[in-house]
Amino acid sequence: MPRRSDIHKILLIGSGPIVIGQGCEFDYSGTQACKALKEEGYEVVLINSNPATIMTDPEVADRTYIEPLTFEYVSKLIELERPDALLPTLGGQTALNLAVKLAEEGVLKKYNVEMLGASLEAIKKAEDRELFKAAMKKIGLDVPKSMTVTSHEEARVAVKALGYPIIIRPAFTLGGSGGNISYSEEDFERMVESGLIASPIRQLLLEESILGWKEFELEVMRDKKDNVVIICSIENLDPMGIHTGDSITVAPQQTLTDREYQVMRDASIKVIREIGVDTGGSNIQFGVDPKNGRQVVIEMNPRVSRSSSLASKATGFPIAKIAAKLAIGYTLDELPNDITKETMAAFEPTIDYVVTKIPRFAFEKFPHTSPMLTTQMKSVGEAMAIGRTFEESLLKALRSLECGWKGLDPIAGASPGEVMKRLREPTPDRILWVGEAFRQGIGVEEVYELTKIDPWFLHKISAIVKTGDTHFQKSSCPRSFRTVDTCAAEFIAYTPYFYSTIGEEDDLLARGTQGLWLFWAPAPIASARG
Amino acid sequence: MVILGSGPNRIGQGIEFDYACVQASFALRELGVKSVMVNCNPETVSTDYDTSDKLYFEPLTFNDVLPIIEREKPRGVIVQFGGQTPLKLALALKKAGAPIIGTDPNDIDRAENRKLFNEIIEKLKLKQPEGATATNVDEAVAVAERIGYPVLVRPSYVLGGRAMEIVYDQNGLEFYMKYAVKASPEHPVLVDRFLKSATEIDVDALSDGSDVYVAGIMEHIEEAGIHSGDSSCVLPPHSLPENVVKEIERQTIMLAKELNVIGLMNIQFAVQNGEIYILEVNPRASRTVPFVSKATGLSLARIATKVMLGHKLKDLVSLRGAIAPKQSPELNMGDCHAPSGLAMTKHYSVKTPVFPFNKFPGVDTILGPEMKSTGEVMGIAETFGEAFAKAQEAAGNKLPSHGSIFISIKDTDKEAIIPIAVSLIESGFNVVATRGTKMFLHEHGVPATGINKLLEGPPHIVDALKNKKIQLVINTTAGRPSIGDSYSIRRTALERGVPYFTTIEGAKAAAESVKIVKRNAGAINIKPIQKYNLDY
Repeated sequence: MPRRSDIHKILLIGSGPIVIGQGCEFDYSGTQACKALKEEGYEVVLINSNPATIMTDPEVADRTYIEPLTFEYVSKLIELERPDALLPTLGGQTALNLAVKLAEEGVLKKYNVEMLGASLEAIKKAEDRELFKAAMKKIGLDVPKSMTVTSHEEARVAVKALGYPIIIRPAFTLGGSGGNISYSEEDFERMVESGLIASPIRQLLLEESILGWKEFELEVMRDKKDNVVIICSIENLDPMGIHTGDSITVAPQQTLTDREYQVMRDASIKVIREIGVDTGGSNIQFGVDPKNGRQVVIEMNPRVSRSSSLASKATGFPIAKIAAKLAIGYTLDELPNDITKETMAAFEPTIDYVVTKIPRFAFEKFPHTSPMLTTQMKSVGEAMAIGRTFEESLLKALRSLECGWKGLDPIAGASPGEVMKRLREPTPDRILWVGEAFRQGIGVEEVYELTKIDPWFLHKISAIVKTGDTHFQKSSCPRSFRTVDTCAAEFIAYTPYFYSTIGEEDDLLARGTQGLWLFWAPAPIASARG
Repeated sequence: MVILGSGPNRIGQGIEFDYACVQASFALRELGVKSVMVNCNPETVSTDYDTSDKLYFEPLTFNDVLPIIEREKPRGVIVQFGGQTPLKLALALKKAGAPIIGTDPNDIDRAENRKLFNEIIEKLKLKQPEGATATNVDEAVAVAERIGYPVLVRPSYVLGGRAMEIVYDQNGLEFYMKYAVKASPEHPVLVDRFLKSATEIDVDALSDGSDVYVAGIMEHIEEAGIHSGDSSCVLPPHSLPENVVKEIERQTIMLAKELNVIGLMNIQFAVQNGEIYILEVNPRASRTVPFVSKATGLSLARIATKVMLGHKLKDLVSLRGAIAPKQSPELNMGDCHAPSGLAMTKHYSVKTPVFPFNKFPGVDTILGPEMKSTGEVMGIAETFGEAFAKAQEAAGNKLPSHGSIFISIKDTDKEAIIPIAVSLIESGFNVVATRGTKMFLHEHGVPATGINKLLEGPPHIVDALKNKKIQLVINTTAGRPSIGDSYSIRRTALERGVPYFTTIEGAKAAAESVKIVKRNAGAINIKPIQKYNLDY
């Protein structure tokens, strides 16, 4: 289907300042969306209060407002600019919350602005815990047992039914702000209080604990013809109980059997259809009980999310760009993949490497805070690395963090007692303590009991420690370069996006024996230093 | 050309540096030069596969970067846009034969190495706060005794003010040297006189080796001593006298030429009683580059990239006539007759930081020399007051239009609070204060209602905040953050979303802002930045 010609001017809402839980990934998605819409000939109006973004560069949108992202300012903007449509799914939770308010207060209706991507109904269904759970039950999917409360009294009743430990999640917040895990009556009241304050609608979800379960995310896209593709699967190395943004994550997923993975895929397709995100990307999170494989749906973001940018970089599939094009009428089978030029966006990416992301924290800036990782996101950034194996990508990611780590560095003078304690309590450097545990001869089973990190990962880490991690990252080893091509070399790739690996051979594109690199002439430039 | 990116985001090195790297890539495209990006941060635009001609998703360490350079054999490697990450690699890469372009790594080192930098300051007859380096406790104490307390202490070579502190006495200094830093001959600690109540100025400038373009002079709203990344700032300066601005411009030009800057540089000045001191010079892209670019409509990083490739500033920006240096018999002003441009906009742009305090339960919200903000917002308007109000609102700290204001301040701020309180009362607010401050205000004819301190029992100020009886908090504290009373006030204000100011300058700007917003009857004036930039 061709692009829509009944709309001309589209408003895009950015995500505002960089805060914990909403970082520059939305600059990436917003910039891609602006470019995609302009490419299609639409007039793009952008509002974002953050001057440090690429998207607020004067040439990215047609008209750029660096103004506060509040209901009053966006309403005024709509009154002045009279856009035909609003695309709210690329500016994180900030943009989505604003869009909901604009719709509910009748501003969109008054100025005849159409909401693209996801309808108000779909957003509510995905974000309201009760509606979401009801929807999951309707399509036969399992969810953690939970209760929604709006006061201390209701919270006390709920905790009696669900027991400790119990998860406290405030509704409508960024990065799980105000979220917590309570282990006993002692801290319960306090956590309920701060959760109620954090939620703009003073609503909390109290949930059965699935701490220690395995956690997965699928990045899913849907078009208006109801085609659905899975872009990427991501597995959290850290178990449930640590916010995804604070977890080490790996793509593609490593520890599910094919059967289990197919069940998860089918479930995610059902979820996006039932919630009714008409066009665009969504992120769906699952928990898996390691004891019996029971899968539960945890939540869904009916928009482009932090994980979408990770998935885009991990696969080479530009989720935000495609989401913008789907919003204006194209379908997945009509949009070509930039990298291969031959396949269409409906072609699911295949990857022949492993991607690891490790979050970066800033606890040293806030003395007197506990560096414990919980369901409330606290990291301020992340590094990602690509390798041929999990081992290689983990070590590269550790180096990329710039925390002064060369890999799984030994921890000098760590007593066995301390090692046990640090395995039990997740902190930013727990991965190093896992390595140290193996160095000290602690077994995989015991480390699993303390960390709930899947034994598959533990065996790999143990192997790295035993062989000596220098084996995987010797600087003297010859390196080869390989291409991120979305298709595991099934088709020719035209976009030079590379990663290095120790040994092996350069692949075709990296060797420069095909495609556009053949025609590269050195550009004439003047040396700046004379 | 290879561009080295800024790695994972952290406090002190965030999206601003990715912005600069992406601009460099765009500039290369404009010139028809092939670009190769190296970075490992998946959240960024720089790691989008179509930002540059080639993308290497790799760690930014020497061992990982060198094979890429050996393989690509670039004409140049750009290290000045990605913050400290690529800068740390610059010297080693140069030694390994990488063609680093722009300011020479040795000149970068001259600016960052304290001893070499002192020589430059002396040669140019400029001023900086007295100070010296120390490699152990005794040396540090000796320096502090010579220059007098309070002193500003920090490890050399850091970004974002890591472990930077203001120390008020010998005990504090000994504690800092023993526990806060690992000082050594290779990693000395800088001990400088702390300039009390000074105004801090940030300058971003471009140089091509012969011409210098002073692209933005930003006046900080918070006083010196608060990390520049945590301070709000305004462009153009709203309260500096013209002669001070001119002098800052002149000194910027001298430093740019002395350091042979090719590309971007950032200088931090402090102005105390009309005297100008140089706090820091960084011959690289700074955190404020995107802000200045948006405020003035010129992409500084893009221009800098072109300059680094040999283009001349005079072909890229309009340089105003030469600025005549001050004639002074004992100063040899030699070769600073550089033509320069100074971007002065008719509108005001205010940058305000955003903090993650709500993510860290119990953390104090007081600001200091160590950077804590994760992001920033900008307010742009015809007047300073409006721009400041917009920035506050964008940062989630919307200024109230009526109600009660709670004032609790340290003794040294008491004189300064009077005009602020008067202005707020004129705008229709009531002032609420604890006993001491109330008495002081009454003595100066300012009406105020009393309220109990936390320790004096209920109903106290924290109750009033919880009950939404207070709409704005002005709370300044002396020295080390006082615990108890004032901490609970700040924390409660944060949790309840009551706007608060912990510096007197912030309060002053807020009062001015409230007045203007009131005069405009709350009308919302917005304009696309494309239009602001056409206006001059």
